[in-house]
Amino acid sequence: MRAILLIARKDFKLIVTSPLFCFVAALCTVVWSLMYLSFLRQFAAQGLMANMQGGGAAAQSLMNSVFVQHISVVNLVLIFTLPAITMRLIAEEKKMRSYDLLLTSPISSTDIAVGKFLAGLGAATALLLISFIYPAGTSLIAKFHWPTLIILYFGIFLITALYAAAGLFASSLTDSAMLAVFMAVVFNLMIWFVGQSGAGSDVKWWATLSEYISVGNHLSNFLKGTLRVSSIVFFTSAVGFFVFLCQRVIESARWR
Amino acid sequence: MIEISNLTKNYGDRKAIDSLNFTVKKGEVVGFLGPNGAGKTTTMKIITGFMAPTSGQVKVAGFDVFENPYEVKRRIGYLPETPPLYGDMVVTDFLEFVAKLKGVEDSRVNQLVARAVEKTQLGDVRHRLIQNLSKGYRQRVGLAQAIVSDPEILILDEPTVGLDPRQVAEIRTLLQELRGSHTIILSTHILPEVQATCERVIIINRGRIVAEDTLSGLSNRLRGGSYVQLRVRRNSSELAQALKAVGGVTSVEINGNNLKVHGTGTEELIEAVSELAVAKRAGLVELSHPEAGLEDIFIELTTQH
Repeated sequence: MRAILLIARKDFKLIVTSPLFCFVAALCTVVWSLMYLSFLRQFAAQGLMANMQGGGAAAQSLMNSVFVQHISVVNLVLIFTLPAITMRLIAEEKKMRSYDLLLTSPISSTDIAVGKFLAGLGAATALLLISFIYPAGTSLIAKFHWPTLIILYFGIFLITALYAAAGLFASSLTDSAMLAVFMAVVFNLMIWFVGQSGAGSDVKWWATLSEYISVGNHLSNFLKGTLRVSSIVFFTSAVGFFVFLCQRVIESARWR
Repeated sequence: MIEISNLTKNYGDRKAIDSLNFTVKKGEVVGFLGPNGAGKTTTMKIITGFMAPTSGQVKVAGFDVFENPYEVKRRIGYLPETPPLYGDMVVTDFLEFVAKLKGVEDSRVNQLVARAVEKTQLGDVRHRLIQNLSKGYRQRVGLAQAIVSDPEILILDEPTVGLDPRQVAEIRTLLQELRGSHTIILSTHILPEVQATCERVIIINRGRIVAEDTLSGLSNRLRGGSYVQLRVRRNSSELAQALKAVGGVTSVEINGNNLKVHGTGTEELIEAVSELAVAKRAGLVELSHPEAGLEDIFIELTTQH
């Protein structure tokens, strides 16, 4: 446990103090700010329209029209930017040969994989916290149901953890940071598309399986404000799967 | 302290090392020599637990590297050919990280980091980012990370590469200081370094050990132990023919007016050669009896096999 935390702390510090992280965070902030303002304006316009037609803009609508939309943009941005954060985790260690230090230290490959994952997850969470400022700031001017928002963010946190794990696995496969970014983006997109591929399929077992592994289906539960154990188990297993793959790649270096 | 038996490593069809057997005693400083691609780095990586052998066994302090890897790794400080450094870290933070990674208790970390900084003379740069340091200083940080956990065994792969002569001398002094308290395996291409620091030498070529002895032992073994070099002004061919008939002479190499006479019995050989050169009126200009240096031994053993 000591080694896991040691690696996680060191890598987290190196990531968040790097110019690249600042650039990614700045880019995310610009995109989210512009989009969030646009969602708020649309919501205000819809509210005005509803008032004129005699109805009221319910608090639930703020959730659907602004927060859910915001989460969708956050998700989209993270699919493409998180790989730039996770690319360094192992690929750079291999390139700079500091990997030798890790593999000749009295720590297991599981310690390395989990420590690196926690560092990536920490950096991703820092980005999520930036995105949380927008809905949190909205509470100053409007009332909404906080628990629903928290569940919404818990859902996106789980997906972000999955992206971080996929990015870590991609980083373990190469010593080229650019290739790691490319592979991680492909993995992230696959995570979304693999669940959609069975929709409407004549092969029943494939349709059922793809429904279960569809990230969209699981996320929709969170977007509705419901917390399902099956979804939490799904995301935790998927994260565990990628971290396990990464651990196997690290371990395999000893046997080549 | 280190026992290696029948160690073999294959990369596909290629044998990187082939049935290596050697032992290193506690406190010994052993030079590990060999041409590029001989299998030195592979052997070192296997000892450190970085990679597994195809067959064979490595025991460090009685622990098998692959059955008790943590016990072994805790006892080894390793400096690979390219120092394993994090450019974004400050020197002391990096050394602290390595010490903790090697399992040093928190209460001893600061003391050991200060000791490593002092021994490698990194005091002036201890608060600087590693990426901003010169190659020489980076090499010293690499050495500091190898000794920071105060390991019983140090495995150093080309520790003085990229250093200026003054820094090389400092590292040599450091290695001499570490002698006795640490068991050291030193791989290098700089042969005077081995002569200055090592008690015993293992020469490896094409994955096999071709020599394993003390420096003087190797020197004596080479070509019967000694040779005499002489330069004459004339009649070198005649003199060479005559020298071959002298008792104790095993061979004569001729290169223009320079002759190299190999034989046994050093003083007798010198006397016989000088007498003959004078008797043959060859115009003896120079006669020397150089000890077979490590360079000669290295070239001889790595080209023979």
